[in-house]
Amino acid sequence: MSHPASYPTPSEHARAQSPAAVRSLALTKTYGRGEASVTALDGVEVAFARGAFTAIMGPSGSGKSTLMHCLAGLDTPSSGQVWLGDTELTALRDTELTTLRRERIGFVFQAFNLLPVLDARANMVLPMELAGASPDPAWTDAVVARLGLADRLTHRPHELSGGQQQRVAVARALLPRPDVIFADEPTGNLDSRSGAEVLGLLRSSVRETGQTVVMVTHDPIAASYADRVVLLGDGRLVGELSDPTADDVIDALRRLELGGSIAGPSSNGGR
Amino acid sequence: MWKTTLAQIRAHGGRLIASCLAIVIAVGFVVATLVLSESANATITRAVGAQYVDTDAVVVPDVGPESPTPSGGSAPGEPSLDELVPRVVELDAVAAVAADAEAFVQALVPGTSGSQYVTVESIAVDEALRWQRLSEGRLPDRAGEVAVSARAGAQVGDTISITFYPAVSSDDPGAIEPGSASAPEPSTEEATVVGVVDLSGDPTAGLRGRYFATPEQVTGWGGTEPTQLRIAANDGADVGDLIESVRSLVDGAGITGTVLTGQEQAAERASSLTGNTIALATFLLIFGSIAVFVAGLVIANTFSVLLAQRTRELALLRCVGATARQVRRGVLGEAAITGFGASALGVGVGIGLAAVVSAIASGVESPIPLGALSIPLYTVLAGLAIGTLVTVLSALAPSKAATRVSPLAALRPMDHAPLRSKRGLVRLAIGLGLFLPGFALMVLGVTIGEILIALPGEMLSALGALLLLQRVIPPVVALAGRLIGGPGGVPAKLAAGNATRNPRRTAATATALLIGVTLTTGLLVGAASTRVTAAADLDRTYPTDVIVATYDQWIPASLADQLRTVENVDSAVALVSTDATASIDGPIQPIQAFGVDLGAAGDTVRAADSLPGPGQVTVNRGLARSQGLAEGDPVTFDHEDNTVTLSAHLVDAYDDLVMSREDLLTLDPEAGTGQIWLRVSDDLTAEQNTEVINEITDLATQAVPSVDVSGLISVRLAVDSILDVLLMVVTGLLGIAVVIALIGVGNTLALSVIERRQENGLMRALGLTRGQLRGLLAWEALLVAGVAAVLGVVAGSVYGLAGAAAVLSETDEVIIDFPVLQVLAVIVVATAAGVLASVLPARRAARTSPVAAMAN
Repeated sequence: MSHPASYPTPSEHARAQSPAAVRSLALTKTYGRGEASVTALDGVEVAFARGAFTAIMGPSGSGKSTLMHCLAGLDTPSSGQVWLGDTELTALRDTELTTLRRERIGFVFQAFNLLPVLDARANMVLPMELAGASPDPAWTDAVVARLGLADRLTHRPHELSGGQQQRVAVARALLPRPDVIFADEPTGNLDSRSGAEVLGLLRSSVRETGQTVVMVTHDPIAASYADRVVLLGDGRLVGELSDPTADDVIDALRRLELGGSIAGPSSNGGR
Repeated sequence: MWKTTLAQIRAHGGRLIASCLAIVIAVGFVVATLVLSESANATITRAVGAQYVDTDAVVVPDVGPESPTPSGGSAPGEPSLDELVPRVVELDAVAAVAADAEAFVQALVPGTSGSQYVTVESIAVDEALRWQRLSEGRLPDRAGEVAVSARAGAQVGDTISITFYPAVSSDDPGAIEPGSASAPEPSTEEATVVGVVDLSGDPTAGLRGRYFATPEQVTGWGGTEPTQLRIAANDGADVGDLIESVRSLVDGAGITGTVLTGQEQAAERASSLTGNTIALATFLLIFGSIAVFVAGLVIANTFSVLLAQRTRELALLRCVGATARQVRRGVLGEAAITGFGASALGVGVGIGLAAVVSAIASGVESPIPLGALSIPLYTVLAGLAIGTLVTVLSALAPSKAATRVSPLAALRPMDHAPLRSKRGLVRLAIGLGLFLPGFALMVLGVTIGEILIALPGEMLSALGALLLLQRVIPPVVALAGRLIGGPGGVPAKLAAGNATRNPRRTAATATALLIGVTLTTGLLVGAASTRVTAAADLDRTYPTDVIVATYDQWIPASLADQLRTVENVDSAVALVSTDATASIDGPIQPIQAFGVDLGAAGDTVRAADSLPGPGQVTVNRGLARSQGLAEGDPVTFDHEDNTVTLSAHLVDAYDDLVMSREDLLTLDPEAGTGQIWLRVSDDLTAEQNTEVINEITDLATQAVPSVDVSGLISVRLAVDSILDVLLMVVTGLLGIAVVIALIGVGNTLALSVIERRQENGLMRALGLTRGQLRGLLAWEALLVAGVAAVLGVVAGSVYGLAGAAAVLSETDEVIIDFPVLQVLAVIVVATAAGVLASVLPARRAARTSPVAAMAN
């Protein structure tokens, strides 16, 4: 399933821009007012490298989903900035953000990824059609082949298994060759085999075509597929791991929950 | 975006059926009205124009405003058209001339009882100008022969006796007083029927028989001077020149008249008849517009519910890059396609309906002329345009709401917009903005009595009221919910909570029912008030059922007692009368005055206001106007040495001057009985009425051979039954709009239950039994439907009364009748309907397993 390097990678001029595909500066997001206010993100500063597979992890309530939403331009932060390459997302209006989402940002969600009324092929090309662009047939065929969807193109989502649906979602995200693909718990609803398939596909797209992928997950096994794991706790960046194994991730998480920092030893000793 | 739009329609088509149905019905109604109106006009034009088919020019004399008969030849003092004929014939371009004249005679056809009044028209001498089509026999070619229309009921070979008055000179046109000294005596002649003329399609054919005879015979039977000259030109002659030449001849002869082409004259004649069809069409289109309006409301409601269910899909679209405008265009595209398809179907339905009505009408010889269907392109285009436009316009507001879906809604449950939000305030503002001016317009229309102003005002304020009520409904439901919480148990409490938790959904469900209830109530209340007011008006115009009168001798006093014993006569009162002279401010005129016993007459007369009070005399309103008399003006009566002055009391009823018995006896102590008023029992059949009148007539004629018995009751009953028919028709027409609204109700309720699959599944998982879930949904439906019904009844009453007041503004006094029982029935039925509509979806919801329901 690998066709190394014969397909254009995210464009050269994109590479010539800042090395970070997406980054944030002093990102803060609060909900509610007065006494009922909740700080979901507290001055988060983070950058995600191009051509890398990065995972954002953290316990529930750590703000990881909120961070992703802000990075993807789906939500507006209370203060701070988000940059997609050289474009400042936080300065854009809704229509411009929307246009961006067609071509430069791709999405894979945990559930409800596809429009139930369209078949697999139509779902795949939806963002490009909204942009009025037609997908490159050779690239489309390659993606379809790589994701093993050739015989499923005319099926509707309810005729596909969970794993197949997610694969269609990944294909949709890959097709426009975006700057970044954001994946929000993409394997949350899948069994371990389908999940592994999807993660493998994401990773191979990074390896083979230099696609940048940022994934939010709570699953240590999923995180182990990433090149780098960024850890969030209580709305703040509390650490990161490089090329971790699943065990590394589990350890780091445990230490987080016990209140220590990643670097130092836990106060309670190992368990 | 198109692909997605089309795919949406294909996938969710079923849910759009209700909207489609609403449009089909509304458009069908409008198209049927337009097509029928066009067909009627075309039929009239064709029938009227038949006469002028071969006519190139027509000379029509102008008849002055004082001429009593509209077709009585040229104006008095001017030469008759006959004198023009020889000069016209001399013109080179003229091939033939026909002078059309008419005679009015009584014809007795063998085998029928009673003679009929018929018109005898002259046939053109020259074949070229004969337009009559024969279905049997031939046209007459000498005196003593007639051709008849099918209405006459005569066969070829029958001998008809014609009674006529020989012609009077043109110095004394019009009214001949029977019995007056100068009038000629009637003569009778016989004529043989030689042919039957085919007048099918002619709107006037059904009213009375039309006969055709030679011009000489028409003159012999007292025919008038020619009413028009029809001129046929030679082939190749220039019609314009011909008209000019004829015109100069007309002017030269000193005749005031117009010269038109055959077509122009046909159009003129047709336009006076089509005026009625236009009025009828306008009347029907008013209801058509109401139906369209209601359809629009139903569609708006349905779309908003549908889109609310598609929030996640819309959010996903926004996520992957659909701009707000693309989303809105998609929704409007859906609306346009649905609207267009439904309109096309509606056009077909409308034409089919028109065909059915036309077939029935032509089979039954109705007064409305409907021959073949005439379907001009504009009716089809109008139907398509109206349906599509209304659908798209109705979907505008929901589509705007759809664009406000945040992409994040795909990722997490939707936050319901609290009513205090900006959106809620905007709605409030728009609601008030529509309601207040609309209400003002409506009040204006009611005050000046112009339904065409009141109706748009009602619609506008209804729109505004709807928006405002949507804000009111959730709190009211909450209030009502607290009431049912006790008796209903757990399901009821849950239901109350459910209904208040999602104000948007509650309001949407209630809206559909609100529309239907408001319409129905408006109809009931409006119709009831109209009925009562019109009945009272009728009583005022015909207060006395039967009047027995003489003009040349007294009625024996015993007759009144005799008549009282007749079966079905409820009461009788005798009036004394005398000859007197009266003066009002001016010339003294001889009149006959009557005096009635005010006490006794109260039972006999149907409208107390039509009686004079003590010291008053009744004067007919029309008479008063022509004499410049106002209510309360003094009228002085003189008889021999007695003088009585009374104040005038204007009435709509009789022409007679009626005062109190005492006053008349003051005027003439020896006055005898001049009239007897009788009151007949209510609720008799037509046959029974005729029997009573016949018996009264027999008894009265025995007592006084020259008596005149007039049974006004027949007139009153006839008008009454026409009113009934009219109200039934109006009810039927509005009923169409009610049906549309009910479709909306069923649809919305079903959709709202489907929308909550997950919630319901969750509750089942947590321990709510199937029965309890069904009970919960039923309680919710009861709550929402009940509130909607009560609010709808209030709104409907207001609108119904306003509508009735606007329509009835011409009557003096609008009586408000509030049909309490019927309105209560509406509340009960509406609530029950709401509950029933939720039964099926509730059963389905209860049957679904909790897990399946909660899964996406």
